[in-house]
Amino acid sequence: MSRQAARTGDPRKVNGELFTLTYGALVAQLMKDYENDDEVNKQLEKMGYNIGVRIIEDFLARANSGRCNDFRDVADVISKVAFKMYLGITPVVSNWSPAGDEFSLLLENNPLTDFVELPEGHDSLNYSNILCGVLKGALEMIQMDVDVKFVQDHLKGDNITEVRLKFIKRLEDAVPVGED
Amino acid sequence: MSNMAVCVAVIAKENYPLFIKTTPTDNELQFYYTVHTSLDVVEEKISSVGKNANDLRELYLGLLYPTEDYKVYGYVTNTKVKFVVVVESSNTSLRDNEIRTMFKRLHGAYVDMLSNPFYNPGENIVSRKFENVVMGMMKQD
Repeated sequence: MSRQAARTGDPRKVNGELFTLTYGALVAQLMKDYENDDEVNKQLEKMGYNIGVRIIEDFLARANSGRCNDFRDVADVISKVAFKMYLGITPVVSNWSPAGDEFSLLLENNPLTDFVELPEGHDSLNYSNILCGVLKGALEMIQMDVDVKFVQDHLKGDNITEVRLKFIKRLEDAVPVGED
Repeated sequence: MSNMAVCVAVIAKENYPLFIKTTPTDNELQFYYTVHTSLDVVEEKISSVGKNANDLRELYLGLLYPTEDYKVYGYVTNTKVKFVVVVESSNTSLRDNEIRTMFKRLHGAYVDMLSNPFYNPGENIVSRKFENVVMGMMKQD
């Protein structure tokens, strides 16, 4: 237990830069390989999805957070527990839709994008799109079909990075979509 | 207000310029020439500094050479990337310490910019953030 506590503490600071640089190298390589922003976005989401379906198991084993009663609980757990555990940040949950099925996560600082500046002519690239995939994949494994996308991006000149999650439907007999 | 440079240049290890910014004047070319000639002095200093150039004092090369109007300072990183700063001779209030701080900030900004995955080392520097740091230490008319 104490070792796990140390892992979630400050020693992460050094590994954080390596993580940022690794992710940066990944995106840069994808850009070179595909040369098309939308294609890169899709690939990032696919990769994120594959991460998500696995990370949810790790999360549930470690977080011990219990059942969520509704989508609001889900939002709180995602922002206060999950993001904190894996990225060390706590995004703010806001912009709830009146029906309570959509919300936004506002990220003040994003460890994936430290030092990054988007090159000219690549405005449609969602640099942190892997996050969308991770959220979608993870929630799908707990029987929720959600649509996740970036609404605002700090890298594109907006003040804040905003991710929008929309609950689509509950999944029964959840079998993950076949991975091609 | 007092640490104002007139020209800032970043030179790659192969001695071609990655970035040059000067205060807008008529004879900008004069600055390019000054920076270019200062490279000889830099090379001389690098070859005479010892093998363990890890100390900040040894990264900082100090006053390279004074002309009648300007003073040129140099700084080299462990990867042989050079920073050259030109200040006006009339700016006597500029102390050595301030120049060192300037170089440290430049070096910091350079490293941050290098960490951008979309920047390939050896390319011309077009980063907005880096430019802002440089503008912040240059003389504004």
